[in-house]
Amino acid sequence: MTRNAKIVLAGLLVIALASAAFLLLHPREEALIARITVDNKVIQEIDLSQVREPYTLSVTGYAGFSNTIRVEHGRICVESAGCPDQICVQQGWVSDDLIPIVCLPNHLMIELTGGGTSLDAAAG
Amino acid sequence: MTRPPAKGAGRIARLALLTAIALTIFMAEAQLPPLVPIQGVKLGLANIVTVYAVFALGPADAMMILLCRVFLGAVFSGQMMTLFFSLSGGLLAWCAMSLLRFFLTEKQLWLSSPVAAVCHNIGQLLAAAAVMKTWAVFAYLPWLLISGILTGIFTGLCAQFLIERLNHIFRSS
Repeated sequence: MTRNAKIVLAGLLVIALASAAFLLLHPREEALIARITVDNKVIQEIDLSQVREPYTLSVTGYAGFSNTIRVEHGRICVESAGCPDQICVQQGWVSDDLIPIVCLPNHLMIELTGGGTSLDAAAG
Repeated sequence: MTRPPAKGAGRIARLALLTAIALTIFMAEAQLPPLVPIQGVKLGLANIVTVYAVFALGPADAMMILLCRVFLGAVFSGQMMTLFFSLSGGLLAWCAMSLLRFFLTEKQLWLSSPVAAVCHNIGQLLAAAAVMKTWAVFAYLPWLLISGILTGIFTGLCAQFLIERLNHIFRSS
């Protein structure tokens, strides 16, 4: 194997290991503030720790169809969507800030942010 | 790579044939359910043709195949919005492969595919960040980097075997 190939291989290995390390070592603390945005404009912010009864809400985004979002205590998901790919529905429940739910056609994003610490501070 | 370069009608016929093959693979793969529920993660089997074309025919011909396949793929799948993502990813991947072509030998060309896949995913995320108007989509980056390297090695090895077999056929004929 030539030197160039070794450099490429080493680079790929570093990228893969760094990504894996980030995903494994990322602190998976409960993030409880769900921010629903369309085109980066906040539609609604929900404190998931305050949710007693599960409920659904509907958001119509950029592409014109609506995403039905189900909210429960501590977690949130897209229950159904009018898009053909349904990736946001298959992603299922989200309860931490590791990966946001994204619906690309509708420019919709559901992000969970680390509300845990600020809430504790407020309670204390 | 040992073939004499085709010119005129022969070249056009070869480009058309490879575009048709890439488009067929692309449409067949689009029928499969997604492997994992993460946006942007897919095998990208049509890129076997792109990797083959960059190394066997040169970057210019590969670019023409790529552009035709991406445009026709968006038309046939009925999702024109994907054009934006495919183009930004595809062009970045093409740049990476065209550069790596000078640094890798014929036996190592499969290595260019995971690098191209990583570039493709970064290009897609840049497009997604532009569409969603937020950098928060880069939370997907580590997932896409790992999946891109794995699928890139797979498609790269496919292209590697393809070039070796085709060279063998062309030599014996």
